Amino acid sequence: MPAYNPAPMQPNAPRIAAHDLVKRLTSGGAPLTVLDGVSLEIAAGDSVAIVGPSGSGKSTLLALLAGLDRPTAGSVEIDGQRIDTLSEDALALLRRHKIGFVFQSFQLLANLTALENVLLPLELARRPNALQRAQDLLTAVGLRERMSHYPSQLSGGEQQRVALARAFGPSPAILYADEPTGNLDAATGASVLHLLDELRAREGTTLVLVTHDKDVAARARVRMYLRAGRMERVEINPVTT
Amino acid sequence: MAGTLVKAAWRESRGSSARLIFLVLCLALGTAAVSGVRALSAAIENGLREQSRELLGADLAIESRRGVPGEADLLVAATASARTTSTKSLATMASAGGRSRLVDLKAVGPGFPFHGRVVLDPPRDVSTLTPLECAVAPEVLEGLHARLGDELSIGAARYTIAAVVVEEPGRLDFSFTIGPRVMLSLAGLEEAQLEGFGRRVVERRLWAFEGNPASASIEALARRLRAELPDAAYLRVETARDAQPALRRSIERVENWLALVALLALCLGGAGVAQLVHAHLDARAGAIAVQRVIGLRPREVMWVQLVHVAGLALFASLLGAFAGSLLPFALPSLLPGVLPEAFTLRFDWLAPLYGASVGVAVALLFALPPLVAVWQVPPVRALRHEAEPLQAPRLLQWCAWGVLLVGLLLVARVEGGEWRNALAFAGALAGLAMVLWVGARLLITIAARIPRTNLPPLLLHGVAALARPGRGTAGAVVALGIGVLVVAGTWLIEGRMSSYLVNALPPEAPSAFLVDVQPDQRTDLVATLQELGAEHVRAAPIVTARLTKIDGRAVADIAAERKGDAGVDRELWVLTREQRLTFGPDLPADNEVIAGSLWNDPQRAEVSIEERFAKDLDVQVGSMLQMDVQGLSVELLVSSIRTVRWESFGINFFLQVEPGVLEQAPHQVLIAARLPAEREEAVEAAIADDYVNVTVIRVRPLLEKALALLGRLAIGVRVLGLFVVLVGIAILAGVVGTQASKRAREIGVLKALGSTRREVMLLVAVEHALQGLVAGALGGTAAFLVAHFTLSNTLDIPPQLPWLALPLMAVGAAVLAAGAGLLGSWRALHVAPIEALRS
Ligand SMILES: Nc1ncnc2c1ncn2[C@@H]1O[C@H](COP(=O)(O)OP(=O)(O)OP(=O)(O)O)[C@@H](O)[C@H]1O
Ligand SMILES: [Mg+2]
Repeated sequence: MPAYNPAPMQPNAPRIAAHDLVKRLTSGGAPLTVLDGVSLEIAAGDSVAIVGPSGSGKSTLLALLAGLDRPTAGSVEIDGQRIDTLSEDALALLRRHKIGFVFQSFQLLANLTALENVLLPLELARRPNALQRAQDLLTAVGLRERMSHYPSQLSGGEQQRVALARAFGPSPAILYADEPTGNLDAATGASVLHLLDELRAREGTTLVLVTHDKDVAARARVRMYLRAGRMERVEINPVTT
Repeated sequence: MAGTLVKAAWRESRGSSARLIFLVLCLALGTAAVSGVRALSAAIENGLREQSRELLGADLAIESRRGVPGEADLLVAATASARTTSTKSLATMASAGGRSRLVDLKAVGPGFPFHGRVVLDPPRDVSTLTPLECAVAPEVLEGLHARLGDELSIGAARYTIAAVVVEEPGRLDFSFTIGPRVMLSLAGLEEAQLEGFGRRVVERRLWAFEGNPASASIEALARRLRAELPDAAYLRVETARDAQPALRRSIERVENWLALVALLALCLGGAGVAQLVHAHLDARAGAIAVQRVIGLRPREVMWVQLVHVAGLALFASLLGAFAGSLLPFALPSLLPGVLPEAFTLRFDWLAPLYGASVGVAVALLFALPPLVAVWQVPPVRALRHEAEPLQAPRLLQWCAWGVLLVGLLLVARVEGGEWRNALAFAGALAGLAMVLWVGARLLITIAARIPRTNLPPLLLHGVAALARPGRGTAGAVVALGIGVLVVAGTWLIEGRMSSYLVNALPPEAPSAFLVDVQPDQRTDLVATLQELGAEHVRAAPIVTARLTKIDGRAVADIAAERKGDAGVDRELWVLTREQRLTFGPDLPADNEVIAGSLWNDPQRAEVSIEERFAKDLDVQVGSMLQMDVQGLSVELLVSSIRTVRWESFGINFFLQVEPGVLEQAPHQVLIAARLPAEREEAVEAAIADDYVNVTVIRVRPLLEKALALLGRLAIGVRVLGLFVVLVGIAILAGVVGTQASKRAREIGVLKALGSTRREVMLLVAVEHALQGLVAGALGGTAAFLVAHFTLSNTLDIPPQLPWLALPLMAVGAAVLAAGAGLLGSWRALHVAPIEALRS
């Protein structure tokens, strides 16, 4: 398998590209086609919302684009490099240096404090001044006073803000978020989204986020509508946010 | 990067402290099993050695009729610093008040004995005997009608009888008794001027080493002495191990048992560790998936977990090893009498450290396969709990199993002492694991196909749960089954061993020997004895002879040639010593012919030889022995080889000649009988009056000593067995409990959906009971096979196993598993569903 090369291979390639992605599952007897020929291109610095009914394959698509999972057929490229054929090691390094991920259920490491959760990817990426950056990020998301708390001592919204800080820590080129506000009330959700936009604007990150919520989707420049594993249509906001 | 990983490993210990404490305790229990068995074995072995040394009176002894060569001292001194003394003994006549009789004279040097004691009445130290004093056995006083203070004439000297010998160190071996004991000092022996008269004086040099060296090093020294001393063919080199020929088999059995239990403990600890680590990593899968999302490579995840598990194992092993090593110290208060009174326990700091290293090694080895499995945790698991596992690299998996197998073999070699045992052990364990795994797959298949009949739904759910993906049913059954094997196997073998040890001394074991009986007195004497209430009276003629040639080659040549063979551990002195033959048509009941057959050649004079003796002589069926029977040369054909149960303590001979060959040779008769304790004195008095030449030698005290020793061994075996059984059950419960505790979430959901606690408990119980049933049936069967094989092959005890207990074992394992499963689910069962869901 080709090794991961952190330098972009083709400067003019789209940041993310997928061709004819198919994901088929055979677990539990009858084969199930979750994604059925999805193609897309996302430019660097763009913001994209993937929208669709429950079970349409949004999370599955996101996992494939992030290299968390492998397609049954088709290809995924990031900066012009195919990632669906990379080894687990290479994928890990790719995520370490280029990709951030935010989950609906936060997924903080329960045995690490808020600060340590943010610090871990920075240390893995060997960022200089990692501690300073982690503290800055936590301050930026308004958790200056809560750095030494464990996830179990934080509210849902606070946990999601730590997760954002963690995802942004290594300044990833791409940030994927799977319903980042799905577990939060409207007000808290709004503040998290606001943070997401702010951080993205500051770091120039490409943002791909999955959502049910029309209002959330409306904030993105591009909306991709998924239905029953197929890309139904793509809407593009003329006005960039 | 390494720093980040170690830090991450350290952080793994945070949070979920209750679970980690439980894990550490279970790991510690596994290690305690290994090191506790080791410590107990060491205590039992030490106790045995102490006892044996007391019988020998020293750590090492050399006996010779030609005098012990000075080189012996040099060789011993070159190896270890030692104290030394010597004794001389011979059979001679002693007389008092006009009567005389044959006595077994022993002159002892200063310091004798180094171990054990000579008890004199009135109490005094045997080395305070002046050259003109002697101490005598009660039989001497009775036989000569003498009392303390009288004079006893031996050779040219007269001695004052200063004390009665109540007890002395000596072999538990009576067939060679020649007469009652008379003790002198070495200087006193000079006075008698017996030496140099062609008398057969046996000199015995004794050594006691400083600093209690290991028996292995003493054995090595003994081997060197046998190989390197001039005249080795005429020297009998003895260590504590040789001091109890009658108990030798029993002691060997116990030693084999100790080695076996060490291996079983290893098995138990290993299977427990593997399953615990597996469950632990399972519980961490969610966190591992997140680490993978953040960008940790699989190998980094594995290192983090490896370092973490190693840290836990080290801590747990130290804990377990120290607890295990302290076990023997608890023994004297828990079970007085297991250890000999004189035995002082020393806490050996190396023992727990050694135990801890074995513990860490076992923990890491058995943790390897589950650790490699972290490769399988996919990062998508952070999104979907039930994501498909990844494939761990094949090579890595094979490596983990390979390292486990090789490591296991090495540890088994260290613990079990022999490659052969280690190989058999590792092979059997791997085989059993395979069988258990197949059994588990079968259970899963059946559970998946069970029809939805009108079983209660929760019962059905419990059965079906076995077949759910990610349930770990197979692993659980394998670990449980191995645990059952160890627990049940130990229990079965221990039961047979300890009862066999206690009954090793048959009720017909003689309590007295009559020596110096003339052939024409035999019939009368036997009748008299029976009239006086003696039971199991047996008489055997004794002819003394010397071996001159084996298959036409002179014995002296053979001895000279074999001396160089350092590798062959044969006793050379048996070639040259005075042999005691018996003759007669039948073998004693405790003899069994294992090669050839009795008296099958009408043309030639035949002899039947004891197995061990045949090995020492290096003769087979068909060999010819030439013997010098008091001046007359006799050719004997070895026509059969037989085993002797020496532990029966009866009259037994290495060499028995067929009837019609030696009847005319000068001989004496040895009679053994069991006398009721209260009649002993009366019988003696009657015989002393009517048969002046005959001496009665009472061996009841020796018999009782032997019985006590065997009883102690039996208790030791039992304690060790019970220890393994109890720890085994605790480990099994811990393993099942750990697994069950992973299911808190599911229980929370079931309760949230409206199941009652009772219903959920039934479900948990059914699922675990089924696992326990399969593991119990398979592991129990394996336990019976292992016990049968070990008893009949290694321990040489008729198996006679309670096969009916097998179904009970299966049911027992099921109950245990169900109970432990419920205990492990305790918290989830008793807290509000929402709590269980959140944790
Ligand atoms: N590992 C799997 N095994 C079985 N089915 C799966 C698996 N992964 C996904 N699916 C199925 O694929 C379909 C798409 O799943 P996915 O999680 O991508 O949907 P989604 O669009 O994110 O839905 P939601 O909005 O409810 O999160 C679903 O029907 C789901 O059941
Ligand atoms: Mg989804």
